[in-house]
This record gives sequence, structure tokens and C-alpha cells, in this order.
Amino acid sequence: MSPNTVTLFFALLALVCNAFVIGVAVAWLVRHREPALWNAVLDALGPSALTLAAVIAVVATAGSLYLSEVAHFPPCQLCWYQRIGMYPLAIVLPIAALRRDTRAWIYPLALALCALPISVYHVLLERYPSLEAGTCDVTNPCSIVWVRHFGFVTIPYMAASAFAAIAVAMGLTAHARRKEHTHVHA
Amino acid sequence: MSTRRRAAERRRRKQRNLFVAAIATVLAGAAAVAIALGHGGRTATAAPQTRPVTVTGASLPAFAAGTTDPAVGGAIPSLSGTGFDGRAVRVTDDGKPKVLLFVAHWCPHCRREVPLLAADLRAHPLPAKVEMITISTGVNAAAPNYPPSQWLAGVHWPTTVMADDAASSAAAAFGLPGYPYFVFVDSHNRVVARASGEMPVTEFRAHVAALT
Repeated sequence: MSPNTVTLFFALLALVCNAFVIGVAVAWLVRHREPALWNAVLDALGPSALTLAAVIAVVATAGSLYLSEVAHFPPCQLCWYQRIGMYPLAIVLPIAALRRDTRAWIYPLALALCALPISVYHVLLERYPSLEAGTCDVTNPCSIVWVRHFGFVTIPYMAASAFAAIAVAMGLTAHARRKEHTHVHA
Repeated sequence: MSTRRRAAERRRRKQRNLFVAAIATVLAGAAAVAIALGHGGRTATAAPQTRPVTVTGASLPAFAAGTTDPAVGGAIPSLSGTGFDGRAVRVTDDGKPKVLLFVAHWCPHCRREVPLLAADLRAHPLPAKVEMITISTGVNAAAPNYPPSQWLAGVHWPTTVMADDAASSAAAAFGLPGYPYFVFVDSHNRVVARASGEMPVTEFRAHVAALT
């Protein structure tokens, strides 16, 4: 299977992550006007959000390893910083999901929120290479666009989508947990 | 277990199954679309994109921007190689002022600079006595925008092109620190200026004017 096919697969999943983030964000923004919508989102996604985040982290890590080890796209410095954010999530989140430890939401949220700005900066660097420097490093500059699908989905864009989706999933987990506790104590 | 708890457990299990089915559907759907649409990608190229290069003479020291360039006033090494079409290309002490431009096909700065310079050079060719030679270097078949021959042909690059070898010997001999890289050489085969990075067309023209 060609790298083009595999990266297109990950690009499509990044778009699904985008749809998830936008959907939840919209429901949250209109929660005072449409509380039923927000409650429906919480009921439908809240209990599974931890597992969803675990799946995203594992798939993103597998994608990252595919790109460097199979497709031989060498990771640049910013890629490594993003890996530092994603790889622990691929271990911590499945354990938390298996144990249904909804209290663990804060740790993945912190990691995802730390790594997300790096991905966003990397996306900007790809679009505006002069942000890094006016010249290309001989070895492996961060501004190289190794993959581009649909005109805008690049590798750091995929990473940003995954981090944003994990952060939102952790927010949902926290909300669902709070709601459950409120019900139990009511 | 009470009836209510059993019902809640049944609901949770159903929700879990639905969630697993949804995840599986998304993954399978994305895989199906990717397999259907994602074949192809890189264009195969028959012409070799790196060619043997012979370097004669002392190499220039590595260029460092922002410092006094120790190479200025010194003689450049001679290069003997070929273009993508197999024709011989030489950089020798032939009494002509020269502009040497080193570019890498995957470098975003080169990809921005080359079309701008191409348009300017086509509209206002360099003075007849100034020779411009572009050296395609840093070639990596796995990197974007490969092959460089196709890239340069696509922008109708108007200068002579030499293909550097796989070890980028020509670039190393000229002290290349990054891409794109310019070396301006006078008619006595001496370095007048070196610059690395994107260069505005007006600045490029000022360097060329200094050679004539």
C-alpha cells in the first residue's frame, strides 16, 4: 500500500476528528439556549469519550510510527515535540479506558493542551516558512510539507486534529463524570 | 440485582456496542475511501536526478550569514558535471562573471524563490556576459516535489542546470549552509558575495549589477 493511500486514510480520520470537535463545541456553546442538545451529546458521547480518546491516541501513534519507520519521512524537531505529547497518551489513555478511570481525564487533557499549540505552530510554519527562517536547513527543516491532502491536511494538521479531539473528549469525560455524580448525590 | 439496575446495565452495554460499531464503521469507511482514491502519488522518472560531479580546486569555507565572509575575494573551485538532459555543464575560470544558484526540490523557500526568479529572468534576461548556472542539489527521492527536473521544467526555469551528485559534492565545495544558496562570482573567478535564503528579486538584480 502506497504512503499516499495510508496518509489519505489518516487525513480522513483527521477530518472526522475535526467534525467531532466542531460538533461538541457547537453543542457546548449553545448549551444555555439548547440544554437538551448538550445533554444528548453528553449522554451519547460522555460515557465513551475516554475510549474514543484512547482510540485516537493509538491510531495517531501508529500513524506517526508508520510515517517515520515505513514511509521514511524523517521527523523534524517540532514533530518530535508533538510525539512527546502523543506517545504517552497512547499508553495512558487505553489503561484509563480499560479501568474506566474517569478521574484520569486531567492528565491527558494537560498533555493534549500542551502539544496542541506546537502542532498549530507547525501548521503555520508549513504555510509561512519564513516564520522559521529565510533559509532551509540542510538536514530536515520543519517547514517541509511531506504530505498534503484536500489542499490543507498535512501531518501537523493531523496531529493538531488528534490533540484537539483528545482534549475535547477529556472535557466530555469530565462533564459526564460531574453529571453522573450530581445524579448519584441528588 | 434490581430491575432498574439491570435495565441501566443493559442500556450501558447497548451504548458500548453502538460505540464500538461506530468506531469500526468510521475506520472501515476511511480505509475504503483511502484505498479507492489514494493510489498513485509519486511520478516515476526514468532520468537520473543526481549525476557525477567532479570538483577541482580548494573548497570554499562554509558560509555563515551575519559575519564577514572569508570566501569573498577567493577563487571558486571548478565543477564539471551534466544537466538532467545529459549535456555537459561546467563551472570554470572562463573569464565570465557567474551567478551560481543551489536549490533543493523539497525546500519550501526554494519553491517560493524559483518561480519568482524564473518570471523575472524570462522578462528581463541577465546581461549576455553574465552566466547563471543552477545546481540542483540535496536530492531525496522520498521528499516532496520530486523529481527536481520536472519541478524546474514546470516553472520554465530559464538557466543552465547542473545535477549535483548524491553526496551533494558541488554544494559542499561551495560551503552551502542552507537552501536556496547564491554565489556571485566575478570575471576573475573570485567570489564577490554569497547569500543563503530567499532573496528579493531587487536584491538579486543589485548583486548581478555589481558583477558587470
